[in-house]
Amino acid sequence: MSSLVTARGVSKRFGKVCAVDNVSFDIEKGRIMGLIGPNGAGKTTLLKAVLGLTDCEGDLSVLGLDPFRQRKELMQDICFIADVAVLPRWIRVSQLLEFVESTHPNFSREKAEALLGKTKVNTRRDSRVRELSKGMVTQLHLAIIAAIDARLLVLDEPTLGLDIIFRKEFYANLLSDYFDEERTILVTTHQVEEIENILTDIMFINEGRIILDASMDSLVQDYVELLTSGDNADQARGIGPIAERDVFGKRVMLFEKPDRERLETLGELHTPSVADLFVAKVKGAAA
Amino acid sequence: MIGHQLALIRREIWEHRSIYVTPIAIAVIVSLVSLAGMVTVSAFDKEVNMALFGASNIAGDAERRVALTVFFLGTSWVFLFALAILTTFYTLDCLYAERKDKSILFWRSLPITDAETVVSKLLTAIFVLPLVTVAAIIVTHLVNLVITTAWVAIKGGNAAHLIWGSVPLFDSWAAALIVTVASAVWLSPLIGWFLFVSAFTKRSPLLMAFMPLIIIPIIEWIFFRSKLFASAVFGRGEMIPLFREMDIEHFFDEERMKVNEEAVSLLAHIDIGKFLLSPSVWAGIVVCGLFATAAIYVRRYRDDS
Repeated sequence: MSSLVTARGVSKRFGKVCAVDNVSFDIEKGRIMGLIGPNGAGKTTLLKAVLGLTDCEGDLSVLGLDPFRQRKELMQDICFIADVAVLPRWIRVSQLLEFVESTHPNFSREKAEALLGKTKVNTRRDSRVRELSKGMVTQLHLAIIAAIDARLLVLDEPTLGLDIIFRKEFYANLLSDYFDEERTILVTTHQVEEIENILTDIMFINEGRIILDASMDSLVQDYVELLTSGDNADQARGIGPIAERDVFGKRVMLFEKPDRERLETLGELHTPSVADLFVAKVKGAAA
Repeated sequence: MIGHQLALIRREIWEHRSIYVTPIAIAVIVSLVSLAGMVTVSAFDKEVNMALFGASNIAGDAERRVALTVFFLGTSWVFLFALAILTTFYTLDCLYAERKDKSILFWRSLPITDAETVVSKLLTAIFVLPLVTVAAIIVTHLVNLVITTAWVAIKGGNAAHLIWGSVPLFDSWAAALIVTVASAVWLSPLIGWFLFVSAFTKRSPLLMAFMPLIIIPIIEWIFFRSKLFASAVFGRGEMIPLFREMDIEHFFDEERMKVNEEAVSLLAHIDIGKFLLSPSVWAGIVVCGLFATAAIYVRRYRDDS
């Protein structure tokens, strides 16, 4: 498989603070990678390094380019949405389309027009961005991004501040209008439960370090949640769960690389949610 | 590359509508003022035979040319004054606003380099703003000539002879174009400084731009008892090496006006060769280039997160 993003020993320091600490990972073509981390974990800094917006130590290669030094070439094949607010507020929808058309060699005006035709922005071509609702701005931004024939799409909290309907629609459109096996998506969000079913890979980051880097398929194999109580709970605890919590008087334990046959005798087994796994991993890393 | 520049410059005009709104507003005001002036003169003096220009009591063609040129020059100065203010605010805002509203992240997501972006703003400040201003000057002159023609005709004068026969259109417009663009190039070190401030300051670019210009001369005076910085910065406006030896302020000198028709020509007072060969001009361009490079560097390397 060809690796689109390769990071080896990437670090970024701001004075004494190490925002990204010796991180290594690969992102393969045709994957949807979720980068999950608490506030201040280094997600945005890492994305900025990938986008060439900030310099960093270590070896980082994106589409075979040095993102910081070859940013212009890189931007022909990368798109990003940093957050909903970044479209300039003074610009008109028609001006925005015209500008991207005249500066981006891989932008298809027809495709953008067709995608916008399906949204509420359709009748607002002469409106300024500031006159559109937050949801419409996101639809506009996504239509532009989707009309760019880019190989990597980077989304940093793309649905922040949107209501649930727009959020669901955003990810549905992302899959239907943008994604195919030639394209790759790297996404960060707090609302991990909303995207875990579209991700193919996941990476947890905490305090600048990657604490989990796995495919979603392997998560199902490698982690299991046991719902148990009483003596069984004590036995299960002896096996060494990585996290334990209380749900309606029952014990829920999370196991890594579990002995499924043994655990099955102690209670009900579930696939853990990414959110629960994330909490367990972050707490485990802190302990 | 050129396609990018055109798109970027067009974007500047979309974003900063004051680039064309201000000259249009001034054109309207100047035209209204001169119209009001003629109406007022008419109201008070039924026997009027003197207009602001094209007056029939001015004897010769040369004198009439002078009268028209004075009027043209007067209106042009209003535009130049507005241009200076407009350029200051534009250059201080253009790299600051995009950071403030975070749209810089969108602009930087497109395959455009920081150098292309900063250069587009520099070209807008040094060429687009002056050209728009000159266009407004020309339109204002034409509108005012038409108003005056109508006025002279109503008063029974021969406008074709009195005004259109003497009016130094090309001379005034060419002079306006040269003076406007040359002034922008001459003051380009300030333009570069403003762009740099706009790129780096976290707040109030206006204050950040002018504070050093005020504090440095004071410090220089306290420690060295000299005024080199102040005269280099504030004196620069007067020192533009564009005009021939004769002082432009005194060229409507009574004697000259009467004896020398060429003295009426504004172009005759402009020496482009002197401007292009002046080391001060080129030194200014170099300083502007250094500040612009610094602005590019800041936009590229600074991490605002």
